[in-house]
Amino acid sequence: MKTVLIKTTLTAALALSASAAATTYPLTITDDLGRKVTLKAEPKRIISVLPSSSETLCAIGACDKLVGVDDYSDYPQQVTKLPKVGGLYNPNIEAIVALKPDLVLISQYGKLAEPLAQAGITVMAVNPETYDEVFSKTLVLGRLVNREAQAKALVLKMRQDIARIEILTKNVVKKPTAYYEIDPTPYSIGPNSFMGVLLTKAGARNIIPASMGDFPKVDPEFIVKANPQLILGVDAKTVAARPGWNTTAAVKTSRVLDLPAGLGTILSRPGPRLPEALRGLAKLVHPGLFK
Amino acid sequence: MHDPHSTTLPPRRLLPRTLALLAVLLASIVLAVGLGSVFIPPAEVLGALWRGVLSLGSGAELSGNDIIVWQIRLPRVVMGLVVGACLSVCGAAFQGVFRNPLADPYLLGVASGGALGATVGIVAGWPRSSIPLSALAFALAAVGTTLALSREGRRFPPTRLILAGVVVGSVLSAFTTFLILRGEDRARQVLAYTLGDLGFSGWRDVLTILPYAVIGCGVLMALARALDTLQLGDLTARSLGVPVERLRLLVVIAASAATAAAVAYVGIIGFVGLVVPHLVRLVWGAGHRVLLPVSALAGAALLVLADLLSRTTILSQVGVVTTLLGGPFFLWLLARGRSD
Repeated sequence: MKTVLIKTTLTAALALSASAAATTYPLTITDDLGRKVTLKAEPKRIISVLPSSSETLCAIGACDKLVGVDDYSDYPQQVTKLPKVGGLYNPNIEAIVALKPDLVLISQYGKLAEPLAQAGITVMAVNPETYDEVFSKTLVLGRLVNREAQAKALVLKMRQDIARIEILTKNVVKKPTAYYEIDPTPYSIGPNSFMGVLLTKAGARNIIPASMGDFPKVDPEFIVKANPQLILGVDAKTVAARPGWNTTAAVKTSRVLDLPAGLGTILSRPGPRLPEALRGLAKLVHPGLFK
Repeated sequence: MHDPHSTTLPPRRLLPRTLALLAVLLASIVLAVGLGSVFIPPAEVLGALWRGVLSLGSGAELSGNDIIVWQIRLPRVVMGLVVGACLSVCGAAFQGVFRNPLADPYLLGVASGGALGATVGIVAGWPRSSIPLSALAFALAAVGTTLALSREGRRFPPTRLILAGVVVGSVLSAFTTFLILRGEDRARQVLAYTLGDLGFSGWRDVLTILPYAVIGCGVLMALARALDTLQLGDLTARSLGVPVERLRLLVVIAASAATAAAVAYVGIIGFVGLVVPHLVRLVWGAGHRVLLPVSALAGAALLVLADLLSRTTILSQVGVVTTLLGGPFFLWLLARGRSD
């Protein structure tokens, strides 16, 4: 049943993407800052100040349009050779202007929009935050840079890859209750955040209720009381040193797993490597399924 | 604002107020152990405490809510008591020794030093257990620098001390800001530290800072009579046989050690040290022999209640609560002082 469904969507989407004509310019779009922005022509010199946007552009075949990226964009290899223009909170506006971009892709955070717009540069805020937005914003980026067909194909491929992993994890009988720490203060992830959706799809039961929000600061005693069977995102030594935490099932069964170096980065980027992130997470939650 | 000569209340008026404060302190402890993200009824709290005491003897393992009471909440509450007492006593002593109502425990750069030490550790990714040590070392080094900078021969003139403290604090804060901007992804941890948080306080943390707190505050309380005399001015105090310079140095060292210890595990908790002594002076008078111990009790109660608020409301960090409570209160004090 499931495969049939996937095949049908696949065919439908292929038909759609075939019919998707080139983007027509001028193109006016409302960006994530709520501003109406018009692109006069297909952008040829783009600067991305968001790692996920850099990744998406490259994944839809617009990598060669990039002339500069922020300090944190490090994937794919190609973007590492581009000029760096600073980070979200300390952008180098002069460097951005000097690169003569015809489009700067920013996040809705930071304060780049105004000075750049004043310098006469087209600025567009595109930053996915929820799971669904990862896909919808990919399509937006595709439209912006005249790579609609490729964006649709990428979204389809991502959904397929995710479905393949989900098929494995969905029917597992024992889904461990899990606590995922994104910051040792401690902050965790709610089930509706895009990371929370991934955690659920990886076959875990998040101990954080949706009512606590997407990225809540949690009271340590709440976690001890919830007694998770799996603790992710923090090393075993740190957890054992926290008062009371050695009584949790996760510590008793040695299921406290720090994320491997690369996985943490991929997991924090709502971009084309979402399936890869999910696979890595699912492997941690259900190592037996991926042998 | 206050007349230092009418300092000591007669015992007849002192006792009821102090007993009332003790009752508030006890009530706040009971409340704080019972309430939290998990509600534990008072009877169960008492049972948990009793079972905890028994298990100390027998080595039996605790379970369920007993763990929360004994291993998480109680140490957190005790940490709040110790830190609140420390900050308030140090605040009172600093205000007395500098004869400056705006002095607080962080005056000489302790806080900025501690923050920088913690930030260095956090940004470098050191294990959490080493962060307090780094905070403590930097806090003490900051005060050492302030002392060295303000020294005039063998004397430490108060104006020079405060000026040097402000400058050392600003320079260290600039370093901290620089490090935060460099290590963006850890910024939230640094922010949490600079806002103060009792989150992961355990018994071992409490026992680590307790000696500094007890010795630091003990020394300050032993100097209470000398601090009283100092309120008459350096010259008078000197002529009454108070070794003013040595007293000032001793207070600064004792208060800095206690403050650095308070800062080490829980970060920088604002306004407690500034506000509590003023509050106590209003009710108990300005004599240091009463002011210092009563400030300890009041500060302890205040911080435990503030932490309870931070755990159970959206405010989420104890430093945010103390500043939100302390700031307006301080403004009220100022306004009141003006109308007198």
